[in-house]
Amino acid sequence: MVFIYTMRTPRRLIAGLFVLPLLSGCFASSGDDASASSGSGDGARLRVALPFAPTENYSPYGQDAMLLSRLGVIEGLTKLDANGTAVPALAESWSSEHGGRSWLFTLRDARFQNGEAVTARAVAAALTAAGKADPAPSALAGVKLTAAAEDDQRVRVSTAEADPVLPLRLSNPSLAVFAPKAYDTKGTVNVEGTATGPFALTRIDGDTAATLDRFDDYWGGRAQASGVTARFVSDGTARANALRTGDVDIAESLPVAQVASLDKDDVHEVDTARNTSLYLNTKSGAFTDAGLRAAAREAIDPSVIAKGAYEGYAVPAEGLFGPALTWAAGKRVEPTGRARATGPDGERITLATYSDRPELPETAQVLQQQLRKAGFEVKLEVRTYARLEGDLLGGKFDAAVFSRNMMLDTGDPVTVLASDYTCDGSNNLSFLCDRKVDRLVAAAQAESDTAERQDAAMKAEAAVLGTDSVIPLVHLKLVAGIATSVRGALPDPYERTLIGTGTRR
Amino acid sequence: MRSLAGGGAPALLWRTVLVAALVCGIGLLPWLSRTDPALTVLRARSADRDPDPETLRAIRDDLGLHDGPLALLGRWLGGLLHGDAGTSWVSGSQVLPGVVQALGASLLLMAGALAVAAGTAAAVCARTLRLGARGRLGARRPGGTATAVLAALPEFLVAAVLASVIGVQLGWLPALGWYGPQWMVLPSLALGLPAGAVLGRMLDDLLPGAFGEPWAMAAAARGVPSRSVARQAVRRCVPGLLPNLALFVVGLTGGSVTVEQIFDIPGLGRLTLQAALAQDLPVLQTGTLALVLLAATAGLLSRLAARLLIGPALRDGALQSLHRPRPPAPRTLPLLYGGLLAAVIGFGLPRDPLALDTLARLHAPSSAHPFGTDALGRDVLARISHGALTTLGTALAVSAAALVAGLLLGLLPRVSGPLVDTLSAVPPVLAGLLVTGAMGSGPWTPAFAVAVVAWCPLAAHTSSLLRQERATTHLTATRALGAGRWYLLRHELLPAVAPPVARHALLRLPGIALSLAALGFLGLGAQPPSPDWGLLLAENQPYAERAPWAVLFPAAVLALLGALAVTAAGGVRLPRRRTRPVGPAAPPADRVVPAPRRQPDHPDALLTPVPASQTEER
Repeated sequence: MVFIYTMRTPRRLIAGLFVLPLLSGCFASSGDDASASSGSGDGARLRVALPFAPTENYSPYGQDAMLLSRLGVIEGLTKLDANGTAVPALAESWSSEHGGRSWLFTLRDARFQNGEAVTARAVAAALTAAGKADPAPSALAGVKLTAAAEDDQRVRVSTAEADPVLPLRLSNPSLAVFAPKAYDTKGTVNVEGTATGPFALTRIDGDTAATLDRFDDYWGGRAQASGVTARFVSDGTARANALRTGDVDIAESLPVAQVASLDKDDVHEVDTARNTSLYLNTKSGAFTDAGLRAAAREAIDPSVIAKGAYEGYAVPAEGLFGPALTWAAGKRVEPTGRARATGPDGERITLATYSDRPELPETAQVLQQQLRKAGFEVKLEVRTYARLEGDLLGGKFDAAVFSRNMMLDTGDPVTVLASDYTCDGSNNLSFLCDRKVDRLVAAAQAESDTAERQDAAMKAEAAVLGTDSVIPLVHLKLVAGIATSVRGALPDPYERTLIGTGTRR
Repeated sequence: MRSLAGGGAPALLWRTVLVAALVCGIGLLPWLSRTDPALTVLRARSADRDPDPETLRAIRDDLGLHDGPLALLGRWLGGLLHGDAGTSWVSGSQVLPGVVQALGASLLLMAGALAVAAGTAAAVCARTLRLGARGRLGARRPGGTATAVLAALPEFLVAAVLASVIGVQLGWLPALGWYGPQWMVLPSLALGLPAGAVLGRMLDDLLPGAFGEPWAMAAAARGVPSRSVARQAVRRCVPGLLPNLALFVVGLTGGSVTVEQIFDIPGLGRLTLQAALAQDLPVLQTGTLALVLLAATAGLLSRLAARLLIGPALRDGALQSLHRPRPPAPRTLPLLYGGLLAAVIGFGLPRDPLALDTLARLHAPSSAHPFGTDALGRDVLARISHGALTTLGTALAVSAAALVAGLLLGLLPRVSGPLVDTLSAVPPVLAGLLVTGAMGSGPWTPAFAVAVVAWCPLAAHTSSLLRQERATTHLTATRALGAGRWYLLRHELLPAVAPPVARHALLRLPGIALSLAALGFLGLGAQPPSPDWGLLLAENQPYAERAPWAVLFPAAVLALLGALAVTAAGGVRLPRRRTRPVGPAAPPADRVVPAPRRQPDHPDALLTPVPASQTEER
């Protein structure tokens, strides 16, 4: 008991340190207490743990829009269904005019969360504001858009050039519609209580939590849950722990490594449009030789990666478009004109990948072993993506393992082909510049009929695969942890929905 | 007051220059490292967005990047004078409220961790205090293994184990969030236990010296209760630790990123890490400045506290040297640890550390794989063994460099004091980025980046011991005998200060191995599939619950290394030259603790003010 005395001096110091910060102000707010009493008492609140915190103060023009869309706060004129086609949301119907240069949307009878009616004028103002945002929302990249109210119920949206996929574009959450009072003169949008979805954002706690309350006048019917408390937890293990302790009802996007620690009934997997692929640098280094690219393709066995690195939460790739895109299955075109494999003879290559997605470094190590067996000398370079991207786009590596959402911005398969595999593509990690590919992608971009566009996209895909500039490895599954008490959650292949009117616990 | 401010006007100037250099260094970071801030900011805003030229142009215009770093820096500094720290490049919101809130959470976490650390340190020293206060230190067999093991445990491992066992499986305490006092317990434990072990070990190192001082003997003879003696001994030793306590305060506030991540705490560590990766300069500059201010305040407080505790004695040169009554006896324990370590490495060497077998993932230890397999089916034993050489080689080199630099700079407290305060406030990732920016990325960059910060605690330790040593009576006596400054330094000061600082450096060896690996994600240092120990721990951390062996064995080996380093510091004795322990057979007057004595190999007996005690001659 002598050592009690030894604590005397530190104790004073520590007592002082405790008083120093004002205790209560130093804790985060959980968002739980605020509106527990709001709502009419029926329907318990849902508690959700999401991986990505809002990065731009819930600005709808960036990634935060996806977050708001998943939580059922915002919606646009259209939305994507499971087959990747545009279906009515705020707009009841639409038709194209002037050969696709403008589209006329007929609105349904809906209200903003602040009680105002959704009018054609408000919708036109919202779309115009999105078109003026700088940088432009990614769904509008390269598109000049004007919107005007035709009458009370109809909005005309025109583009400088014919845009056959405009309804698909408008399904992107960053083109959601907000009440006029949400927009200020500086171009920022206040999304609190001004959107049209079944849940309204009522309280923001920095980038740690958000509180949502049910919007009773939602056009699609009153939601069953009285509200949603969203917490942003970046660490995958921590999200899984939150579900296991019952702190949350839904934990989104769990790393594969954590799935095994969950109750089997809580694990929900859904096919996504996301691939992990190996991009080979066709501009410089060893893989300028098509024979070596073919040798790499033949050396790689994707099923080992699907089983090993992804523990079965991925399927071996069949092409660039995976099973989540149901239309792709019947339309596959066999790649032609592939080069004959040549022996690598100890060719040295550098394979880069990033650690932000925990499965990627493991994938890269499996690839390293497979390529090594085929005769390559492989050096790995694993960094966090922010430190890797500059060198990656600068062409410093021979190959890169990269995970890509093929349907991200528009739900249009051609957009990703154009940005990833054409000479002018902005995310062309293979530095591919192939005349045949460019021609086929351009042809696909010109198609307006959905089915024909998909056919053309599959032809372009076959041409891309024919160059061996990219080796698709696996199609990923999204794993969400959903407590067994929760009904009606909507994890979706496009990563755009999670909570809907029918979600309850 | 001069000594409190650390030397008056010149020191203040030096301090200002350092802080200015740091802020400018951060302001120039993207340009030094040639990493386009528009790209990193875009990536922080959206993970999936294509970096097309139009988007990057819009971001550059928005942030005003065309004006160049100097104009940006000037604008930020100008705003700072009016209390406006600018807006975040990523989110566009005001920087100051966010940084203040994160700082609050971090300070609270740090306070909790310090409370745990104090408890741990007390437990570590309890035995020495109990025995010392009763004058029975001779009977004390040197311990330290448990402490060294605790000090070597990586924070994130303690955190992961606490979160999954106490938080999830037992459900005793919340494991996620930062909503009230009960949320503080687990993270405070994760941070406080290793820190407390280091501090406790350092205190334990000094206490025998304090108990050997004449006042302790006088107090014992006078019949002063042993509790009071113990209290005074702690009071006598704590000033030597205060600078390191201040460093812990700053380090725990700004550098506990992994613990913040595991428990989802919105603290300053995560904020500055994200800002550093996104090159969100206003946030990074403000966060670092807050840490620098905290470091300066903590440094000032530690000097004030030291003055309160032993001020008059320092002024009057009335201290005794805090030497152990006799150097710690060489012992056989290090041989055991060394043998064990060598055996593990030896058994693993014939195995292949890189052979993947995805069919044998996460297998439990068996005869085929004595330490089990990792997530890619590789043999954990083979990886530990093959990683030993690179891990130990670099970590030892860095530790040695840090020790030399710490000792040398610790001799010049006027120069190093402000330098320590400033550098200790730099989060490790930022240090890595700044070093890479300044010297490019080479094989020695990570070692250099770690060494740049690693000498700080050693220098702080050196100068605090030195201050006390200078105020000792035997030094006055030596001076009176005509010794010059150089003689004093070589024969009195350095021999007195170097051993505890060297033991301190050894205690930090495992930590250095881990911080080397922690820079890997910046593209510095060991890259997969290299079996570097830090990398081993990091890549198996997600599987800690499913395959505990994949993290526990590497952690155990690291702890073994820590134990080896600490126990070996006292020297090694071969088992066959066993002699009877000194303590129990001490003369009847065993309450009389031997007086502090000089190094046994002291070259010049004439200048030795304290005679060798008779106990030593036995």
